[in-house]
Amino acid sequence: MTARNTLLDPLFNKNPVLLQVLGICSALAITNSVLTSLIMGLSLTAVLAFSNVCISLIRKHLPNSVRIIVQMTIITTGVIVVDELLQAFAPNVARALSVFVSLIVTNCIILGRAEAFAVKHSVRMSLLDGIGNGLGYSLVLLIVGTVRELFGAGTWLGIPVLPLARDGGWYIPNQLLLLPPSAFFIIGLLIWLLRSWKTAQVEEPDYREIRFHKAGERL
Amino acid sequence: MNNDSPQKALLVVFLVALVCSILVSVAAVILKPIQLKNQLVERSRNVVALTGLVREDTALTDDELLRAVEQLDIRVIDIDAGRFEPNMNATDIDARAAVKDAELSSAIPGADDLARLGRRSRYEVVYLVWNGAALSRIIFPISGQGMWSTIYGYIALEGDLNTVAAVSFYEQAETAGLGDQVQDPGWLAQWQGRRLFDDQGTFRFRTGPDNIDPSSPAAAYQVDSLSGATVTSDAVTQMIAYWFGAHGYRSLLDYLGSHPPEKPRETGDTES
Repeated sequence: MTARNTLLDPLFNKNPVLLQVLGICSALAITNSVLTSLIMGLSLTAVLAFSNVCISLIRKHLPNSVRIIVQMTIITTGVIVVDELLQAFAPNVARALSVFVSLIVTNCIILGRAEAFAVKHSVRMSLLDGIGNGLGYSLVLLIVGTVRELFGAGTWLGIPVLPLARDGGWYIPNQLLLLPPSAFFIIGLLIWLLRSWKTAQVEEPDYREIRFHKAGERL
Repeated sequence: MNNDSPQKALLVVFLVALVCSILVSVAAVILKPIQLKNQLVERSRNVVALTGLVREDTALTDDELLRAVEQLDIRVIDIDAGRFEPNMNATDIDARAAVKDAELSSAIPGADDLARLGRRSRYEVVYLVWNGAALSRIIFPISGQGMWSTIYGYIALEGDLNTVAAVSFYEQAETAGLGDQVQDPGWLAQWQGRRLFDDQGTFRFRTGPDNIDPSSPAAAYQVDSLSGATVTSDAVTQMIAYWFGAHGYRSLLDYLGSHPPEKPRETGDTES
């Protein structure tokens, strides 16, 4: 496992959202604009890098009996600090993200990386893994946010792209895209696209169809 | 020390908790002043937009906003008494925190609680805008339960204490694309010139069915409801009805009708 793979694999080969299907809750809730998606992605990346580094630092001293609760304490600390920073320096975005910054605590990606990676690997590799997975999550959020803002509001990052019929243009925005369920469709399509490209990600079917030619006789 | 011994577990938990609590406290303490200023700027931005003193397309810096608000005639009102409360300072009023304090707030009787707030603060801050010696606008805070969230806003009445000069809703979490149209500038602009009370003093304002006949007498008291957002629209009607009803600002408005407010001498001329 090279440093390069640790950093870049989570983008496409082991994407936390598209392959592991983690962190869906926030990916549905806050992706109605590119700006909130971007800030949410950066916030999660910062928390994930912070928690991975801290947990990796104390990995040789982590008692098994309190392992998870110690990890949660560290993750929560990172989230509170990021939340406070957002409220101080990006108050408008903090309002748009509302509870979803605090809910990074429960984002499965973070505890997942702590348990699967940081407790077993060096600080440097854990940092790269944290940043890589954060970027993998951010990439999906940015794509979903772009589709939703472009076709739901006719803008990208607040810049008018499609002239709205309301203001004399031709585009009638699809308001479904502003609602959380639309992200389900977009993420589903993204998973399908990614698995068509990287067929190794296609899962084994849960069951296999066995067809009978005649009663009791296998074909 | 063995990693799985109870002593080690206690030690690790203690140290992690200590370091984490220091980090959180430091962040909270250092960033608090900036966050408070942000809240003040945000509130000021909403108030200043309703004064009619600043053109809509001018972007003011944070400091300009804070200065513009300071020039307004800011008063504390005692809603229960229906009077100004000259002995209190506007900066000491936190209406949202007050509802948790039995002395600073009162329960809204069920039949009056159209905005579904439960309790409201006894004291509120209002902003008076003077045009020369005449009262040109008075800005009231309003709030009410929408479909998903509590909606907060301000409404500016003209000097007749009846005609709506402007309205804004600055905090809501209604359905995206539907209920969040309460912040749509086009819809908010409809409110201008609408009246809350008829000539007999009966409250008449409502959000109503689309395409009302503009010549009908009811049109003067009505703005369109938001398409696809019936619950939020009705909530807005109820919110205005509550705040300008008997348990809201009505007694203050009645008092001001017979005792017009006086322009304080020390306030600078807001026209300049």
